[in-house]
This record gives sequence, C-alpha cells and structure tokens, in this order.
Amino acid sequence: MLAFACAAAAAAPPYALAGREAPDFALRAALGPTLRLSEHRGEVVVLSFWGSHCGPCGAQLAALNRSLKTYESAGLTVLGVGVDDDAVRSKEFAAAQPVTFPLLLDPKKAVARLYRVDNLPMTLLIDRGGTVRFVHRDYDARSDALYLDELRKLLNE
Amino acid sequence: MRFLTLAAALAVLASPTWAQDAVAQPPAATPAVAPAAAPAAPATDTRGLDQEVQDLKKDVVDLNRDLFVLEEDLLFPANTQVAVFVSLDVGDFFALDSVELKIDQKEVANYLYTPREAEALLKGGVHRLYLGNLKVGSHELVALFSGKGPNERDYQRGATLKFDKGIGAKYLELKINDRQRKQQPEFEIKDWE
Repeated sequence: MLAFACAAAAAAPPYALAGREAPDFALRAALGPTLRLSEHRGEVVVLSFWGSHCGPCGAQLAALNRSLKTYESAGLTVLGVGVDDDAVRSKEFAAAQPVTFPLLLDPKKAVARLYRVDNLPMTLLIDRGGTVRFVHRDYDARSDALYLDELRKLLNE
Repeated sequence: MRFLTLAAALAVLASPTWAQDAVAQPPAATPAVAPAAAPAAPATDTRGLDQEVQDLKKDVVDLNRDLFVLEEDLLFPANTQVAVFVSLDVGDFFALDSVELKIDQKEVANYLYTPREAEALLKGGVHRLYLGNLKVGSHELVALFSGKGPNERDYQRGATLKFDKGIGAKYLELKINDRQRKQQPEFEIKDWE
C-alpha cells in the first residue's frame, strides 16, 4: 500500500508553471476591492486555491493566516482564490473563514485554468520577482512544514 | 590539419589584443616595464570594465525596446491597427469597476480595474484597453461600463459607436465624464481622427 502511494506521488506530473512568471490576473474579492496580482510585485505572494466543498481548505486557510500574522512585516502577501461555480456559496464560505487576507472569487475558473489547478487545496509560492517557485497540491502536517521552509527561503531572498 | 588551422584562427580572433601585443612587443622588453606599471593597472581595468558593463546593459535595454516596437509593428501593422483607450474625468458620480468591450458583436476585452488603477485614471492616466487588427470598412464598437454610480449604487451603462476603418491606424477613446447638471456620469466614445 505504501509502495503504491509512493509510486503515485512519484508519478505526479511536474508543475508546468514552476520557474516561470506567474500569469497576471485581476479578481473581485468576496469582501473588499478588486485585486491584481502584479500590484504585489516585490512581495512574496502565497496564492491558495480553495473551494467551499473541499475539506482541508478551511484548515489550510487558517494555517496561511497564521503565517501571514508572523511574516506580514517581512513582505508576505496571501491571496485565496475560490473556484466555486456558485458565487453566493463562495461568499458564504469566505465570510465564515476567520482570515484577514483577501478571499477572491473565480466563478468562471479563468484563473484556475491559467494556473492549471488540478487539486484542492493547491498553494503556490511566488517570489518577489513574480516567478512561481513552489507548489503544494495537498495540505497535511508534512507539506505544511515544507511550505514554511520554502516560505522563509523566499522571504530571505 | 584543417582543424588545427581553424583552432589557431579562432584563438587569434578571440583575443585580438593579446595577439597584437605578442607581435608588437619583443619578449625581452616586458619584464623591465611590468613591475612599475602593475599597481596602477587593476584600478583602471576595473573602471574600464565597469563602463563596458554599463554600456552593455544600456545596449540590452535599447535592443529590448527596439524589439518591442518591432513586435508591435509586425503584430499590429499601421494599416489594420485599432487601439481603444479608457480615460476618466473627475469621477464624482462614477467609480469605475470594469469595462467590457465588443467589436462587431465579439468580445475583445474585459478588464477589471483595481482601486489603484482607477485612481491612476482619475489623476489623468489613460489606459490602453485593447490593441488589435481590423480590416477596412464599417464596424461597430460597444462598451459596457460597470461600477458604482451616484449614492454608491451599482451602475451599468453602455456606449456604442459605428465607425469606418480606413487605411491607417484607428484610435478610439472611451471617455467617462461627470455631468454636473444632471448629477450623473456621462459615457462617450471619441474617435481620434
């Protein structure tokens, strides 16, 4: 069983946008103004795709909020992107999350397609120069520790 | 043999200064001059190298600009080029959120403005919303503006223009003005002749 899991993990295709410039986009926030990614050039941006039906997404958003509190002064920005078809449901989910960062709505999934989202939650780390550096296609304790290491590395650059 | 000749030729080409020095100066003269000139040389060399690097950087920037202009000329030749700009005047009665642009009933642009971008427009900025190609003839442009109108209400308005595209570039401007008398925003499309 373990061997099968390892083989499946090894077989996961490499992320196509890794090492490339993060595609720019503008989305309306569930609460607050429209945001454009390129306006955050010069900051380390964590882009997290979530859905209201996704179990671990809430926990992931809460973890990102903790990271934001710790590293905001070092130049960290966190943006959540909801990919639900139903904007009303997305807004309800967003309103229930105890997070201080903007939760954006992508009901047409244009940004999700742009970023080739194939799993939820999916988290991308974008460096100060606007390049996609790391991607996490799941959320658990191991990936969380790895994500923090990568985040610190980008903040120190 | 031919390989050796080619290698020798490449070596000479790669270091012409070194090769000239080797020919011009007799080997015996070099040790006598070298100790006295040695301390001053590195500083001059570094300065020269720094200048060369700066010149090279400038050349790269110039080249990049020329490539950009060339790319635009190739993709959007002057004969077929159509550009649509957005400008905002005053903005007391309208806070711009998005503009959807259709040409000949086909959506060609849909742009969401952030507060920072809207502020830049209010300060006199002009945004190029669309750059494309159109053939000579009659065309129709429809622009749909969304935002907050008077009393913070959601506001949507459209503007239409039928225009003739001749030979030469066509520039159109979507202007949003405040009409004080009506206390309403006004949307117009201006054709830059």
